[in-house]
Amino acid sequence: MSEPFLQVRGAVKRFGGLTAVNDVSFDVRRGEIVSIIGPNGAGKTTLFNLLTGQLKPTAGDVSLNGQVINALPPERRARLGLGRTFQIAKPLLTLTALENAMVGSFLHHSRLHDAEAKAHQMLIEVGLDRRAHVRAAQLTLSERRRLEVARALALEPSLMLLDEVMAGLNQSEVQDSIDLFRRLNGAGLTFLIIEHNLKVVRAFSERVIVIDRGAKIAEGTAEQILTNPEVVTAYLGRRRG
Amino acid sequence: MNSDDLATADPSPNRPAGGILPWRRVALLYAVGLLVTLVPLLLLSRNFFWLNIITYTYLFAGLAVAWNIIAGFGGQFSLGHGVFFAIGAYTTARLFLDWEISPWLGLLPGAIACAVVGPLIFWPTFRLKGSFFAIATLAFNEVALVLANYLESVTGGPRGLQVPFRAAFKNMIFTDPRAYTVLMFVFMAIAVGISIVLMRSRLGYYLLAVREDEDAARAAGISVIQVKLRATALSAALTAIGGGLFAMYIRTIDPLTLFSLPDIGVKFALLSLIGGMGTITGPVLGAFLIIPLESYLRAVFGGSGPGVHLILLGFVMLLAALFMRRGVAGAIDSLRQHWRHRRSA
Amino acid sequence: MDILNILVVGLLLGGIYGLVSIGLNLIFGVIRIVNFAHGELVMLGMYGAYLAYATLGLDPYIAVLLVVPALFVVGIIVHRLVLQPLHAESNMQIFATFGLLIILQNAVLAITRGEGFSVPSKVAGFTFGVGDIRVTVSRLVIFLALTATAIALHLFLKRTLIGKSIRAVTQDRQAARLMGINVERTFTITFGIGSALAGLAGVLLSPIYTLSPGIGGNFILAAFAVVVLGGLGSVAGAYFGGMIVGLVEAFAGFYIDPELKQAIWFLIFLVVLIVRPTGLFGQVGAEEVGFREQN
Repeated sequence: MSEPFLQVRGAVKRFGGLTAVNDVSFDVRRGEIVSIIGPNGAGKTTLFNLLTGQLKPTAGDVSLNGQVINALPPERRARLGLGRTFQIAKPLLTLTALENAMVGSFLHHSRLHDAEAKAHQMLIEVGLDRRAHVRAAQLTLSERRRLEVARALALEPSLMLLDEVMAGLNQSEVQDSIDLFRRLNGAGLTFLIIEHNLKVVRAFSERVIVIDRGAKIAEGTAEQILTNPEVVTAYLGRRRG
Repeated sequence: MNSDDLATADPSPNRPAGGILPWRRVALLYAVGLLVTLVPLLLLSRNFFWLNIITYTYLFAGLAVAWNIIAGFGGQFSLGHGVFFAIGAYTTARLFLDWEISPWLGLLPGAIACAVVGPLIFWPTFRLKGSFFAIATLAFNEVALVLANYLESVTGGPRGLQVPFRAAFKNMIFTDPRAYTVLMFVFMAIAVGISIVLMRSRLGYYLLAVREDEDAARAAGISVIQVKLRATALSAALTAIGGGLFAMYIRTIDPLTLFSLPDIGVKFALLSLIGGMGTITGPVLGAFLIIPLESYLRAVFGGSGPGVHLILLGFVMLLAALFMRRGVAGAIDSLRQHWRHRRSA
Repeated sequence: MDILNILVVGLLLGGIYGLVSIGLNLIFGVIRIVNFAHGELVMLGMYGAYLAYATLGLDPYIAVLLVVPALFVVGIIVHRLVLQPLHAESNMQIFATFGLLIILQNAVLAITRGEGFSVPSKVAGFTFGVGDIRVTVSRLVIFLALTATAIALHLFLKRTLIGKSIRAVTQDRQAARLMGINVERTFTITFGIGSALAGLAGVLLSPIYTLSPGIGGNFILAAFAVVVLGGLGSVAGAYFGGMIVGLVEAFAGFYIDPELKQAIWFLIFLVVLIVRPTGLFGQVGAEEVGFREQN
């Protein structure tokens, strides 16, 4: 196995008296697809924000490629190769789909038409090229999701963090997304995803980490995790239906 | 053009649906646009009343374009640009008066000063959003007004500075008023050219991203504060140059003129809003509508009582705010959209 | 001039600023509208007092009864016609209220042809002294009126049904709407009350200043400073913010240079904006529209 690419060691995040993330450690190796699951309010999004730089850990370390990045703001992490999506997609509404993707591709292509070419390529990748010149405000929910993925891909990241990127998509859209991520993964991109949809988790991820009440309660392959009775009670038992 | 294009075309203003234009097309559009703005000058160059109005129109078009860089593209609604305007005006005039430095060179120190001072004073206020940013920058304008009145040795205090009429090219003082008109035209052309290049550069795209969503911008590797500061520097420097030109044109500058909100600081915003904020043509359109309208109203109604023309201008502002929220550029775009839909139906 | 004297001058000046700001702050805090025309509403109040004197021979302290309701109506009209259609468009609101400022200022200028008026009052001019400190009745009245208004407004917001709905709307529009509160009407009433308070300030200031159409500009930025200093939507904030600005102006005027006094409180205003954007008495959440969420 190769060197851990993303490393989380004893990460803690407290908000006043509330401990949202409690001593979580895990690794993501290059080329892997890892999912984080857990019931609502388990601290997944807080953990995710510690990785993106939206929040800084109260204790513990987050390192990328051996470099501790606890204090780095989101933009510096993006430049280190960390692409992300937002749980609620954040398209740049008055810009066209192409321009949205260009905002990403400008990171590594300073010339206008190079950035455009790269952005266009990313739109093709996510199947939005026919909507390239439509303003993001006119796009449907699933198109906005894909646009966000395109913008993140245009950064040419080495690790993609996806926050419930499948929520609200229909069956075939979910399948399209899974195919897209598999293809990208085949080309060497590492994925860390937060996902509610257990079918997606089973179909897609190599390794699953389960978070409950801020702590990691299990880790293993999708099969191991989804048949683990402890996980099932923690995860499904409190979902009330 | 196929029908699918029409169906998916969206009504947002001022950006042609279609790819990123090649540079040659842009250069052509720019040249044609400038020629169009030259028409009033060519038609009315013998009428000194209108010539003065056209001169101001070009100057304020350039200034509105400069303001629009940080306010329209960057979403930072500054009401403090009067400060940069005044710094430019005082610097150029002072250097000419004290050291006989040609205003052609004297424009630069003011611009450089503002490129430094602008980011410095805006930096702390960038934490504020929307109306709060506007009020804080408005406060800068008022502080500067008080200081300008107070620092008599620099600004001449309330009485201001007078630049003697010594006509010479190197003094930027001309006997032929058309020379000033051409000067302001060139200023406008440069400001528009810079805007075009900016909006086709990485910084321009980043500025739009920051305006639309700061978190999304950060996730794309953009340093939000750096982008705002750079755009401020550019916007402030251009505004300072406009201030220097203004000083050489009217040759009497005093704090009440330079820091006037309705005539300077808020005027930039007014022109851009009426024309269409966040577009390249909008601020120019706004200036071409409002400056002549205002001057005309003043000339026609000025005699019927003090303030009458300003009442009308106030109503124009009010109605524009209520009924043309995306400015003229946006309204034209909506009309075109409407027309295209009818044709395709 | 000794410290005690400056203190009194500053507090009385603070009364003026506080009274001018209290309506602005209410509007700002509740509707989140930056009303640039607030100073012009104060100006209308002053001219209203003059009109009452010129046509009916009323003393300004009696004219209050006419002018304040009139300004309430003006506020309702302005909100309905101009601001309500522009809700959620903060740039356009700035723009529209600025247009309103220009219209009101120049309409008064056109009607009065720039002639300066003063409004005589039988009582306002009296001064009395405690030791060597002299106090003018008109300024004392303003101070007392501000204190009374602040208390009354506080009680109004706490005790009455309309007051409670105003507070509810301030805290959470969505929730207030779900509770069956008519948010738009609450905004309109708030704007009306804010305008009425501007009118009150105008009438009470009319014996002190010579009336001119542009006089509102003397107050508006001070009022913004007070609002930001005191805290959005906080009655106590407008009260104490006014006092602080008044005291700073008085002391800076005496110890530094009277010409710089404004610059000094503007600087304080900027520092507060930057260091403590919620203001000294700001309510948590009131700044949410204006500021980035804290990390």
